Amino acid sequence: MPRIVRRVTRLLGLLGRRVVLLAVLLVGVFASVTFLPRDAAQSTLDRGASAAELAARRAQLGLDQPLIERFARWMGGLLTGDLGTAARGQPVADVVLVALPNTVLLGGLALGLTVIVAVTVACLATLRPGGPLDRLISATATVTLALPEFVVASVLVLVFALWAGLLPAVAITSAGGSVAPQALILPVLAVAIPQLGWNVRLVRAALADEARAPHVDAAQLDGLSRSRLLVRHLLPGVLPAVAAAAVTSVGLVLGGAIVVEAIFNYPGVGVVLTQAVQDRDAPLVAGVVALTGALILGLLLLADAVRAWATWGTR
Amino acid sequence: MAGGRRFWWGLVPAALLMVGTVLGPLLAPNPIDEPVTVPYATPSAAAPLGGDQLGRDVLSRLLAGGAELLLTAAAVALVVTALSALLGAVAVLRPLVGRLIERLADVLILLPPVLGILLIVLSWPDGGRLALCCAAVLLALPYAVRVVAASAAPIASAGFVEAAVAGGERLGRLVWWEVLPNLRAVLVTLLGLRFVAAVYIVATAAFLQVGPQPPAANWALMIRENAAGILLNPWAVIAPSLAIGLLAVGVNNTVEALAPGRGPVRLARL
Repeated sequence: MPRIVRRVTRLLGLLGRRVVLLAVLLVGVFASVTFLPRDAAQSTLDRGASAAELAARRAQLGLDQPLIERFARWMGGLLTGDLGTAARGQPVADVVLVALPNTVLLGGLALGLTVIVAVTVACLATLRPGGPLDRLISATATVTLALPEFVVASVLVLVFALWAGLLPAVAITSAGGSVAPQALILPVLAVAIPQLGWNVRLVRAALADEARAPHVDAAQLDGLSRSRLLVRHLLPGVLPAVAAAAVTSVGLVLGGAIVVEAIFNYPGVGVVLTQAVQDRDAPLVAGVVALTGALILGLLLLADAVRAWATWGTR
Repeated sequence: MAGGRRFWWGLVPAALLMVGTVLGPLLAPNPIDEPVTVPYATPSAAAPLGGDQLGRDVLSRLLAGGAELLLTAAAVALVVTALSALLGAVAVLRPLVGRLIERLADVLILLPPVLGILLIVLSWPDGGRLALCCAAVLLALPYAVRVVAASAAPIASAGFVEAAVAGGERLGRLVWWEVLPNLRAVLVTLLGLRFVAAVYIVATAAFLQVGPQPPAANWALMIRENAAGILLNPWAVIAPSLAIGLLAVGVNNTVEALAPGRGPVRLARL
C-alpha cells in the first residue's frame, strides 16, 4: 500500500535526521576536548610530568597527527565501541559499560514512575477542573519544578533513612554489582520528583486541550460519566503528548541520575564521572556523552514511533 | 502584569530572600574557614547550627555560601537573555540563521545539561568561573533563541517591520528599533525562567565539584562535603538544602507572579 510506504519513508527520513544530529553532537564533543586548553596527553599524565614525557604521551595517543586524521580515528573508534583511554589507563568503554546498566536501571525506573504518576495526577486534576485538588496539584507542580535533585535527595535521606529508618541511605550492592531493590527506592524518588512538576503540567495542559475537542463534547452530551470520558476519550488523544514530555525528560533524568548516584554512592555512571572530575579526565566524560547521546537518540526514535502509531488512523 | 495579593505573595518573599543571600556574607558571625567547634558538633551557643566536617560554623558558612551562587546564576541568566534577544530577532529576519539555530537546539536534546557542563569545564581546567558561565550560557542559548524567535515571528511579518525592510533599513536598526521593543514582556519572562534554570545548573555544577573549590563556602558544596556526617549534625546538610530549595522556589514563584497563565510556562525547560 502506498500509504504504508509513505509512512515508512517518513520514519526513515526522521531516523536519518536524528542520526545526523548525533554526528553533529559528536563533532562538538571532539572539538571541546581538542580545542580547549588542555589536551588528552596532559590530562592522562601527572601534573609534574616533564616535556619529554608529555611529547611521548602525545605520540602514543596520536595527538601529533593531523586533526582530520585524529577525528576520523575517534569517530571510527566510536563506531567499533572503542571510546579511547581514560586518565588511569583503562579503556573508557570498559569503565563506562560496567556502570551504564545501573544508571539506565535507575533512570528507567525514575522515568517510568514519572510518567505513571504524572498521568495519574493530571487525570485527577482534570476530573474537577479548577477545584481544590486541581489547584493543589498545580501549586505543588510549580514547587517541584525548580528543585535540584541533590536537594531533594538529601531531604529524602534525612527523613526516610535517618529519622524514620525505613530505607537504606546508601546503595547496598551484592557481589555481582547489582543493587538491592529497597536501596533503589530513594534514588528513584529523588530523580523523579523534580521531573514530576514539568510532566504533570504538560499532561494536564494536553488533557485540557483535548477536552475542547468536538467528539469529547458529543460524548459528554451523550451523558457519559466523567471517569469513562477521561479513560475512553481523553487519554488516547494525549498519548503523543505524554511520549513527547517523557522524551524531553530523558536527558534531565539521566543528568539527575548521575547527580543522585553521587549522594547514594550508587555504582553507576555518576560515580565514574565523580572520579573523572577528580582526575580532570575529559576523554572519559566525552565517552559518556557519546554513549548517553546514542541512548537518548534511541528513545527519541521510540517516541517518534509512538506518535506515528497513535496518529496512524488520522490524516 | 497580574495585580493583587497573589502577585505580592510571589514577589516579596523571593525579593527578601535574594537580598538576604547577597548581603549574607557581611552578616556571618564567625570566619568561614576556621574551626570554632568540633567536627559535626550539634548546635550550641557558639555555633547555632552546629559545626561542619572540619568544625567550622555552619551558620556563618550558610550566610556566606549563597551570594556567589545567586550572582553567578543572575549573570548567566542576563547574558543568555541578552544574547538570545539579539540572535532571536536576527533569526526571524534572516531565516538561514533561524534554521541553523533550530538544528543546534535539536542537537542539544541529545546532551544532558549536567554532562555538557562537566565536559566543557573539565576540558578547560584553567577557566574557573568563566568556564562554568560560558558552558551554562552555551547550553542554554539555543533553547532561549528558539523561544525568542517563536515570539518574534509574528512581529517580523507585521506591516511596520515589512515597511522598514522594504525601506532598506539595516539589520542592526531593524533588530534594535523594530523587533526588540515589542518583545519586552517575553524577555522579562525569559529572564526569570533562565534564572531558575541557571540556579539549578550552577548549584548542580558546584555539587559535582566543578565549580567553586574548597574551602570556599557554597551551599551545594556544603551539602556534598557534610553528607557523611548527616546523622551527627543534620543541620550541616539540611540548612543549605533548604536554602537552595527556598531560593529556587522563590525565584520560580516570582516568575509565575510576573507571567501568569500557561503560555510562558512552556519555556521553563532547561
